[in-house]
Amino acid sequence: MSLPALPLPDENRLPFAPPPEHDALRDARQVTRVGCPTGMDAWLVADYAGAREVLGDGRRFTSRPGPVGHVLAAYGGPDAPINGFPQMDGPEHIRIRRNFAPQVSHPRRLAELEPLVEQITDEAIDRMLASPQPYPLHREFSTVITTAVIAELIGVPADHRHLLHDAATALFTNSTTQDELRRALRPLWTYLYQLAAGRRARPGDDVLSRMIAHSAADERPLTPAELTDMNGALLITGYDTTASMITFGLACLLNTPGQWEKLCAEPELAASAAEEVARYLSTGNGLFRQATEDTVINGQPIAAGDYVVVAVQSANRDTALHPDAGTFDITRKPGPHLGYSHGAHACVGRQIARIELTTVLRALARRVPTVRITVPLDELDWKKDNVVRGPAEMPVAWS
Amino acid sequence: MRVATDRDRCIGAAVCVHLAPAVFDLDPDHGLVVLLDESPSETQRPVVEQAVESCPAAVVRLLP
Repeated sequence: MSLPALPLPDENRLPFAPPPEHDALRDARQVTRVGCPTGMDAWLVADYAGAREVLGDGRRFTSRPGPVGHVLAAYGGPDAPINGFPQMDGPEHIRIRRNFAPQVSHPRRLAELEPLVEQITDEAIDRMLASPQPYPLHREFSTVITTAVIAELIGVPADHRHLLHDAATALFTNSTTQDELRRALRPLWTYLYQLAAGRRARPGDDVLSRMIAHSAADERPLTPAELTDMNGALLITGYDTTASMITFGLACLLNTPGQWEKLCAEPELAASAAEEVARYLSTGNGLFRQATEDTVINGQPIAAGDYVVVAVQSANRDTALHPDAGTFDITRKPGPHLGYSHGAHACVGRQIARIELTTVLRALARRVPTVRITVPLDELDWKKDNVVRGPAEMPVAWS
Repeated sequence: MRVATDRDRCIGAAVCVHLAPAVFDLDPDHGLVVLLDESPSETQRPVVEQAVESCPAAVVRLLP
């Protein structure tokens, strides 16, 4: 007997909600068996406590099969073109991550970055306001800002930024084959490898140079290949994920009664709005793990080797987090959620994403309060065949 | 309220530092957690409890 298919978000039906099949599973804390798009069978965990337990325990649940191996055909398996940082476990992963995370997480470092994000955002809004309407917000605004921020961080000059666009597009498309992905990544990886060698010889003030300096004191300093892998991961994952949270988040703000008006009346709500957008909309496809031993989640026995899909967006609407967790409310006092995942693989760019989302939402509320989407929501073109959810494009206008 | 951290398992995500900067910091050399205040006042309890829940590597805990 074939299993029921893994329920995935359908924005044409419910633009801002996880699939309704998850609600009953979550509320009953039930773990059920589903068939994934890439052909594996998996256990689906949809409640907050169960999801947090799986993501938080890298010993019982390995990241080996890749965080999105259930939806991305090119991502899983020992021959996967990307086979590094995101799939590591234990001390090997921590060794890499510790050289990386503080450079993009520490408040003092972020305080230095904030003016840069503000400047990039202000310039993008200047260009937006000088453009004809309707204006394609996702392509011309959201992705331009996140590309510029992440490229400035690593120190990738403007004329090489198309490399990360090409690589990210191939990576996030579900149907990309491993050969196609390998071909699409090669130019970016080659470039980053050379960049790392250059920074080793002539350090700058960028994140890449700081990682090299930081790891030089280690017993085993990072190799050029490891630096390339880490920076490639940062560039690619920092690009369309955050851009989509800007576009998707603005769509949700404009379409939830009263929310955009509240932000415009009080732009300092942008910080809690950014956290609410991540809680409410992030990681709609869920995250993938594999059990390393016979174990139990919510009373359900899970055998060693079994795959698990963690339904993050559903878990974030668990009433254990907020009594009205199903409601999008930017005035909510931010609390714990899994929008940036949890555990050793939790989003390493979380603090940068938070600053980008906060800065962009605050600046739009201040400078373009009349912004509106020019087509009805059900006519928006939503991304399909893609691991990052949200509008493929969103035409906007203002007065 | 007494707080403890496990530096050996810290991954430098700085979630605790952003939530409770009076209690936690990252050291400049290694980028790993430093406990600034082992016995913070009760006014810090909500943010410290959130740090316990939100620390991705589960290295922050409240002692009995």
